[in-house]
Amino acid sequence: MSFDWKSYTPVIIPDIPNLHEIDVYTKNGGYDSLKKVLSNDWDPEKVINEVKAANIRGRGGAGFNAGLKWSFMPKPDGGPRYLACNGDESEPGTFKDRKIFEYNPHLFIEGALIAAYAMQCSAIYVYIRGEYYSWIKMMEKALKDAYDKGFIGKNILGSGFDVEFHVTGGAGAYICGEETSMLESLEGKRGYPRVKPPFPAQKGLWGRPTTINNIETLSCVPLVIKNGADWFSGIGAETHPGPVLYGISGHVNRPGVYELPTGMPIETLINEVAGGMRNGKKLKGLIPGGSSTPILTAEMVKGTNMDADSLREAGSMMGTAGMIVMDEDTDMVEMLWRISHFYHHESCGQCTPCREGTGWLEKILLKIRNGDGEIRDLELLIDLCSQMEGRTICALADAAAWPVRYTIDRFRDEFEARCKKSTYALA
Amino acid sequence: MPEIFIDGKRYEFEGKPKLLQFILDNGKEVPFFCYHPEMSAPANCRQCYVKVGTPVQNRETGEYELDENGERVIRWFPKMQTSCSMEMTDGMVVHTQETSEEVARAQKDTMELILINHPLDCPICDQAGECPLQIQTYKYGPEGSRFEVKKVHKPKRVELGPRVTLDAERCINCTRCVRFTEEISGTHQLTISSRGDKNYPITAPGMEFDDPYSLNTVDICPVGALTSTDFRFKARVWEMNQTPSIDITGGKGTNVDLWTRDNLVLRLTPRYNENVNTHWMPDEARMAYRKFNENRISRPSIKADGNNQIKTSWNNAIETFAEKLEAVKPADVLVLGSAHASVEENYSLMKLFSTWGVSDFHFSPDVKEGFGDDFLLTDDQAPNTNGVKALGFSETSAEDLKAAIKSAKVVVLLNDELVDRGVLDSEDLKKPFVISLATNETETSKSTDLVIPITCIAEHAASYVNVEGRIQRSLPAKETKYTHRKLDLEMSEGRLDRYGTNFDNWVNEDNKVDCTPIWELMNNLGKRLGLSVQFGTSREIMDEIASSNSSFEGVSYEKMDDENGIQLTGMNKEEVSA
Repeated sequence: MSFDWKSYTPVIIPDIPNLHEIDVYTKNGGYDSLKKVLSNDWDPEKVINEVKAANIRGRGGAGFNAGLKWSFMPKPDGGPRYLACNGDESEPGTFKDRKIFEYNPHLFIEGALIAAYAMQCSAIYVYIRGEYYSWIKMMEKALKDAYDKGFIGKNILGSGFDVEFHVTGGAGAYICGEETSMLESLEGKRGYPRVKPPFPAQKGLWGRPTTINNIETLSCVPLVIKNGADWFSGIGAETHPGPVLYGISGHVNRPGVYELPTGMPIETLINEVAGGMRNGKKLKGLIPGGSSTPILTAEMVKGTNMDADSLREAGSMMGTAGMIVMDEDTDMVEMLWRISHFYHHESCGQCTPCREGTGWLEKILLKIRNGDGEIRDLELLIDLCSQMEGRTICALADAAAWPVRYTIDRFRDEFEARCKKSTYALA
Repeated sequence: MPEIFIDGKRYEFEGKPKLLQFILDNGKEVPFFCYHPEMSAPANCRQCYVKVGTPVQNRETGEYELDENGERVIRWFPKMQTSCSMEMTDGMVVHTQETSEEVARAQKDTMELILINHPLDCPICDQAGECPLQIQTYKYGPEGSRFEVKKVHKPKRVELGPRVTLDAERCINCTRCVRFTEEISGTHQLTISSRGDKNYPITAPGMEFDDPYSLNTVDICPVGALTSTDFRFKARVWEMNQTPSIDITGGKGTNVDLWTRDNLVLRLTPRYNENVNTHWMPDEARMAYRKFNENRISRPSIKADGNNQIKTSWNNAIETFAEKLEAVKPADVLVLGSAHASVEENYSLMKLFSTWGVSDFHFSPDVKEGFGDDFLLTDDQAPNTNGVKALGFSETSAEDLKAAIKSAKVVVLLNDELVDRGVLDSEDLKKPFVISLATNETETSKSTDLVIPITCIAEHAASYVNVEGRIQRSLPAKETKYTHRKLDLEMSEGRLDRYGTNFDNWVNEDNKVDCTPIWELMNNLGKRLGLSVQFGTSREIMDEIASSNSSFEGVSYEKMDDENGIQLTGMNKEEVSA
């Protein structure tokens, strides 16, 4: 892509001082999109169609068209309907939503309000991970300001549209980032993913229709309303358009969150945006979208762009665009063991394959890491991945199995080198 | 009617059944752990996997699309589905482990994962022998284990409450116990603590699992994680035999099984009856087994000088009984039936004494106001209040009873702990000659002049009418000195009973009580008094009652067995409560 990334002007977290203050935000055109949709010529259907046309693909990892998701909500029946905003952001390597909470909370609030209007929701819940204590406080402050200005509450801007907005802090469980267990957690229950069907659009929070969106996804909504669907879908990759927050971490000179269009070449992101590899080392591997997405080797990274299609072709996924960069000194066995440790620790324990499998994976990897592994253990690991993938209520088992399957597949020599030579076959 | 094809066979169904239940109802099998028909299906054990497909329909015409062979085109679900949560639809095609390698493999995979952290302690586990995990591992599990690393360690011997002990390592996290307290008993006392493979069910900190139905969680636990504090380590399942019976601690008539070994009842478990208790029973009822073993009266005893009772012979007991009766007029004899005794026992007592000339029969109801709940506990503490009423015994208050005893010369007391439960004072029984026909040594039996031991519910077949007017019967589970398993075809035989001999070291003759059913006692007494009363077995007595008493019309043991109890006509719920 011959795109000059330096000329791009951020829109989600623009470079405006004190934008988190509501006055600064409104002065810079904030809440205009809300005013626009609440004016007479925008009915909810029109908002949904506009967002659908913009093709905002969910930034939480699944990459599903947000407008399409909204259209799955059943017709209003007079009862309560909810919008639940997922700010749990617990996937290792992902740290983008906190930037929104910190630098541009009102953009998200405005987006959530527009979404609530489009789906005729009566209340909005934003679920923020418990470790983000300061950000929960910031969000509470921002909401209070928006309430005071009359952007939230009864009869918003005289339009007759009512909506309440609540902040809930998580309690430190990764699983509560899974949408249905987030709903359980919001209801005050233990964070166990729900069996689907019924889907949240039919039976979500307290058994009522609910849509769950990522914070970044909702933050794109006011921009679409303001600039039009064509503007949005014209940014970045054709099939996966829009601005996106790349969270770059690992062995680069300037790790951080960078807002750029989708479809950026990974090499550009590493070498230019993030200031190149640390200490001039060579790239060894890259996890493109949070720890559960399959790792790419340096060879695979070449010519690959950060959008759903290009990454699928390369053998991975976009996920949350939380990129973890690893240089040539990285010990892949150690890295994989650490990731597996995380999933073992975070499995909610509801379904058998995940509860038992994540622990088994970690223990075998620990054995290999400590030099006691055998080559047959690698076969067992791959076999266990097959026993876990697609066999559970939520996708945590897949998230735990994929790094193991692909890291071993793509860095097999390194794993074999750590193993003792097997003398007998597996039982 | 909608149809479904399971393993190539066509079935019809109505409504919206869940696939697993439908498969089980049709006599087929799919392994499962977390599913329970009375509770929600969380689909968390991932054991009941099946392969499911639906026929492809033409969107416009709604007709099934056919392939070149004229067979319906099936769109298979991309992943295998848990049958417990799968709603059936018309034309659905299902493959279980019987016809799909893929399904069999998936089930084996799940089983392997369930087993990796499960302790291999079946030899000392109470659940062994009746363990769904053990049984299904043999049937569907892997041949060996590939698990060569350390198992997870969790708390052992956690006393969750007064009656339930947890071994957390054995838990497979099916959440049946948690759901029981949420959905059935409604106490919400249990939850899952911790995450992943470290989790196990527990109460909130500082709280006790004192749910009045807590022991049901032991029954539904598919492994040996929840055990009965009372029963654990007492017996292996395969040493015991199981006899269907009825709970006698309350008016509900909860169906139970008596588990016996060497003529001792070791535990009670609920027996399924959709009209009464479904799968459950209250904890209180489980402790009743002790009364069948402990403090039993064996051989008659008679009050000698002062207050001492001494053992006496059966001949002397019956002779004394008869002499005391012959010395007075029937009007001077007070006969008390009992709501704690069966229909047949009360009937034979009543029949003999009415033949002899007694016309009034009384009983004292045993009701604790406010004790009942809207589940299985009732205010009525006796199992047969409706039965004695229907036989014609009149309900008598404590005051009236005291007055009647005062004016009587001889009192015959059928198994009822009148002194113990505070209806009478032992002083009240001082004046007349009191003959008690009793099962257990109690304050009441100690206060009487002649005690004749009778069989308890664990030793005879007899019927009881519950608060809703349903008549149900027991089967004999324990031998007395005068019965033998091999001769009484209603008695079950455990492995030890069948293959043991009297000389084996696990056989204890003292466990057999020297007592007879009351109808046999009445036969002997009737013969001695020269009355033409003759009772056969309790089965024949019930036939006699059915033909002479309109309340019991149509009742027979055969019908009770076939229909799991009979709702007596003219004794439905509304009338009883009114």
